[in-house]
Amino acid sequence: MVDNFGAIGIILIFAILFPIVMLAIPKMVAPRKPGKEKETTYECGMETRGETWIQFKTNYFLYALVFVAFDVETIFLYPWAVQFRKLGTFAFVEMFIFIAILLVGFWYAWKEGALEWK
Amino acid sequence: MLFCFGLYGVLAKKNAIAVLMSLELMLNAVNINLVAFNHFLYNQTYDFNGVKHAILTGHVSALFVIVVAAAEVAVGLALVITIYRNRLSTDIDELDWLKW
Amino acid sequence: MNYALLAPEITLAIVAVVILAIGLMIPKGPHKGMVPLTILGLLLTMGVTGGQFAANVHGTFLNGMYYADNYASFFKLLFLTAALLVVLSSTEYVQKLPAHRGEFYALILFAALGMMIMAGSGDLITLYIGLETMTISFYVLVAYLTEDGKSSEAGLKYLILGAVSSAVLLYGISFVYGLTGSTVIAEVASSLGSSISPAIILALVMVLVGFAFKISLIPFHMWAPDIYEGAPTPVTAYLAVASKAAGFAALTRVFLIGFQQQVYGGSPEVVLAVLIAVTMIAGNLMAIPQKSFKRMMAYSSIAQAGYLAIGLLAGDQAGVKAVLFYAMIYVFANMGAFTVATLIANAQGSDQIKDFAGLARRSPFAAAVMLISLLSLAGIPPLAGFVGKFYLFSAVINQGWVSLAYIGFVMSMVSVYYYLSVVKTMYMEPGEGLPKIGLGGASKFTLFVTMIVTLFIGIYPTPLAQMAISAAKSLIR
Repeated sequence: MVDNFGAIGIILIFAILFPIVMLAIPKMVAPRKPGKEKETTYECGMETRGETWIQFKTNYFLYALVFVAFDVETIFLYPWAVQFRKLGTFAFVEMFIFIAILLVGFWYAWKEGALEWK
Repeated sequence: MLFCFGLYGVLAKKNAIAVLMSLELMLNAVNINLVAFNHFLYNQTYDFNGVKHAILTGHVSALFVIVVAAAEVAVGLALVITIYRNRLSTDIDELDWLKW
Repeated sequence: MNYALLAPEITLAIVAVVILAIGLMIPKGPHKGMVPLTILGLLLTMGVTGGQFAANVHGTFLNGMYYADNYASFFKLLFLTAALLVVLSSTEYVQKLPAHRGEFYALILFAALGMMIMAGSGDLITLYIGLETMTISFYVLVAYLTEDGKSSEAGLKYLILGAVSSAVLLYGISFVYGLTGSTVIAEVASSLGSSISPAIILALVMVLVGFAFKISLIPFHMWAPDIYEGAPTPVTAYLAVASKAAGFAALTRVFLIGFQQQVYGGSPEVVLAVLIAVTMIAGNLMAIPQKSFKRMMAYSSIAQAGYLAIGLLAGDQAGVKAVLFYAMIYVFANMGAFTVATLIANAQGSDQIKDFAGLARRSPFAAAVMLISLLSLAGIPPLAGFVGKFYLFSAVINQGWVSLAYIGFVMSMVSVYYYLSVVKTMYMEPGEGLPKIGLGGASKFTLFVTMIVTLFIGIYPTPLAQMAISAAKSLIR
């Protein structure tokens, strides 16, 4: 028991020290030459324009919401699909009921106009 | 640990969306608990028609928790959007139209 | 597996989905057909549940993960009654809402379904699913008035606080699983035996905190007044009555079956007693200065949760019976009061106590129902509330908590004061210039039913008491 947690403790100490050391080395070793090019957010690539806090269209959020809800529901399909052969007809029917209920929800989202891009 | 981080986030964060993220942290702490307990403490099997099956109560519970959490967050985000439309801010501190 | 045992839940689920689908098929607009359909569905489910209750069905399935016994059936009947009264009383209110569709009724039905699952669940995860089905429906219902900033603010607050409380509850559940290797309540009990350790206490406290949020025991009550005020009035009524009863249904089963030996006779019992005492005292005192009727009712419902929890503390058959009995009459008394408040909100667009001025002249019937409901909540003798409180207090005195019963008694006297201040406004103040209150058929019917039941049970409580005893017996043998 103690041995197991001892290992975790060592990893923890190492994990805390490692980034500190890695950040400290360049601070001490690297030469410091601030310039215009250095101050930009990204040192290479296109120059950024405008505000980063731009507003997304709310339609985008609606899509995202519908996606979040339905995407996670499919989690129940995985165990069912893996054990499909063993479970038999009953589970098959059950899963159809589940999907039918989901479809009613999807239909609702459609009717309410969540899927239209205005 | 993770649970406490989440709880701290819920209590201290100002942005409604950050609060929702902290909530997710709390629920994920529960998930880790459930899966870890199942794996390390109750890693048992039982015989069913001669085939070994693992007992997966914790894992299955974690699945349910994930789904419910997603539903909850979906509703939460929808509410944040309605509030944002009403007053153009998602700052929790500004929710003071109802005072106790 | 015997699917007949699940008949009430299956019926209600089908009805709810069908109503949602029908709401989509017919074009937008105030369609009146939804209400009778919803009521029909609820009555059908009530019939099925009532049949189970009368037949004294007692079954468990999936290795004890779900119960169909009289205890669950009693609570199911309670939830369905509450949903029915809410649908009836909100008919006119909902017609006025913009962009009205069938989803309001579907959500009420889904919430009822979640509560029924809570009442029947014999497994902590099933219980959690039921709880979330209920609360997620409630989040949407509370924020139903999307145009009204207050309503959506209340919805978001409820969501955050509710989600935190269920996360705490769930964390407790995960510890219980870690300690016992099972989430089935009966197996948890047999695995724990009479052992007690700091880890068990921690898990127990987390579960208690999670539930205390749902039933709004002080100090976990902060959400109640805000959410009650912001929510649409019929939803407030439903929230106050049904979600609280559902919390009690689940909490009682978890405590009395799962942790019976850990909770009773030890320190958790004392913690619970202190919570109850604080809830009764502070809930009643904070109700006094309130100016909004819904806020006042929120604090009053906090106090009522304290009274109900007394029966849980007693923890024997008499205590459970008292909880069941009181929860049922609380439904009728509270629904009566809130139906009148809905009428006022509909006519005057506000819910301050001063808006009730001259109600006795403007609508004598509504004022009378309000009077009877409030007096029943306060526990004045000829009414149902008195009998309920009598059962509760006598149950807890038998367990030796005389001081708690004494506090409860004194605090009910205090509650008379603020209930009567509403009555005084209704009967004594002229209320010049306020509109007459028109009663629609559905609200008239609701008011009539609540009044008759409150009076009838007050005078002749035996039938309901018999039902409650039979339900309590199925929980504790």
